[in-house]
Amino acid sequence: MNPSAALALGIVSAILALTGAIALVAVRRVRMDPQQFLVGGRSFGTLLLWVLMAGEIYTSFTFLGAAGWAYGLGAPAFYILAYGTCGYTIGYFLLPAIWQVAKERGLLTAPDFFADRYRSRGLGIAIALVQFTLVIPYVTLQLSGLRLILTMAGYGSVDSTVAVGSAFVLMALFVLIAGLRGTAWASVVKDILIVGAVLFAGIAIPVRFFGSPAQMFDRLIATHPAMLTLASGAATHGTLWYVSTVLLTAIGFYMGAHSFNATYSARSGDALRRNAMLLPLYQLVLLLVFFAGFAALLIVPGLHGTAVDRSFLLVVQRYYPPWVMGTIAGAGCLAALVPASALILANAGVFVKNVLGDGFGIATGERARTFAIRILVLVVAFAALLYWFDARQTLVQMLLVFYDGNTQIAPAVFAAFLWKRATAWGVAAGIAGGLSVALYLNGDPAFLHGINAGFVGLAVNVALLIAVSLLTQRANGPGDAGSAAVNSKALR
Amino acid sequence: MRSLRLLLVVLPIAALSVAIPLVNRIEPRVLGLPFLLFWIVLWVLLTPLALWLFARLEARR
Repeated sequence: MNPSAALALGIVSAILALTGAIALVAVRRVRMDPQQFLVGGRSFGTLLLWVLMAGEIYTSFTFLGAAGWAYGLGAPAFYILAYGTCGYTIGYFLLPAIWQVAKERGLLTAPDFFADRYRSRGLGIAIALVQFTLVIPYVTLQLSGLRLILTMAGYGSVDSTVAVGSAFVLMALFVLIAGLRGTAWASVVKDILIVGAVLFAGIAIPVRFFGSPAQMFDRLIATHPAMLTLASGAATHGTLWYVSTVLLTAIGFYMGAHSFNATYSARSGDALRRNAMLLPLYQLVLLLVFFAGFAALLIVPGLHGTAVDRSFLLVVQRYYPPWVMGTIAGAGCLAALVPASALILANAGVFVKNVLGDGFGIATGERARTFAIRILVLVVAFAALLYWFDARQTLVQMLLVFYDGNTQIAPAVFAAFLWKRATAWGVAAGIAGGLSVALYLNGDPAFLHGINAGFVGLAVNVALLIAVSLLTQRANGPGDAGSAAVNSKALR
Repeated sequence: MRSLRLLLVVLPIAALSVAIPLVNRIEPRVLGLPFLLFWIVLWVLLTPLALWLFARLEARR
């Protein structure tokens, strides 16, 4: 190993060890009954919620993928800044409504919401399985981000197999050690480091090489004018693609099992509203990530395919000392580990509660549950590793698979508030049809004039939901009176 | 009047999605940014403002 690699990887290890220690201290003091474990005792105020929900903004995807797309494609990357903002605006209305229902009905997980509203335990189990499976591409995304960072921090001395192996071990270890509380605290460390790294990459790099970001854009307009606007209409990554992708991902924004958990953990509906109002500002940092990607395009041109994801790390590796590389790589590793950990733990918890507990009546005790969650963590990490070997996609492509899938849950959520006639069978048919279409079309971006495949799935989903609901009877049950609250008024 | 208030919320979403083909250009540049990027950043900044205004109007109802 060369001296640069030793220094950079040493700093990465130190950052990870320190964060792990902080997480461990945070975990020690909390007693874990189901209320506490899954929804934090419904006691989180604006600040903790902020940490929990904002944690997803700064992932290794943001860090590398957004810069990579700015480098490789240009303007299509701007969708990343837009969809979050639209997602928060929808969340402003949706999340307090979901929170209200969850509190009144004592719900603990996302599948609980569907099982309760549509009075079908089977539907809850099915949705738990779908959400659990969709975590795999997301974890793969973080895993490949991690691998890439380790390779770059190794200055050529860490080969790809060793890097992906280490990434896998790091991921599994982190999740098992930190747990949910520990992850929330690690998230604070991560965000501070990432903001620092992004300020450096988005401002210091353009200033050093071009004088200012504005001068960088002068150069870009002269050399790559086509990259700063979207191709028109039906072209690949053209305006049609952009509009459909922003809307689709915004609708799917809060549909993951972990988002429901975060929502349930709020102290009040107003805490959620305040949170939704402020979050768009937090993601403005993405603008600097685009700067970093564009700077890299001018400084180290010529990367193609999945290599674009390493664009600005390559600039750091070539032109800055190893300690800068080490610090940025350490921040990047946390950006992969923390969100993946949050998603894996939330979904493993949901799987144990809804599938093992409600479905089969096993793993209901505290020790059995902890054991089951640990096994599931390893299962997800392993599945993600296999998916990585199978599908060589850019980081953004993997995220889009995750969103195309997750958005298919949305009609079931909106119908729960807006259409009393919707039935469990209708919802199940919609999700099954929508998922099949979205995943099938994902391999074919040329289909339908560049409109995002998930959008086609969504149309099929809604059509099936309506048709099958009209053909089936709504189950009657003791939940009737209680779910009177579940109507359009709740969506204030 | 509620529909007018709701417009406050629909506007940012529309500005960031369906309106994009109308602002898909480099000039005029604002603060050095190409116009498309400036437009998106502008509406990311205006969204919290719009939501805050909406909440104020709802509360006064």
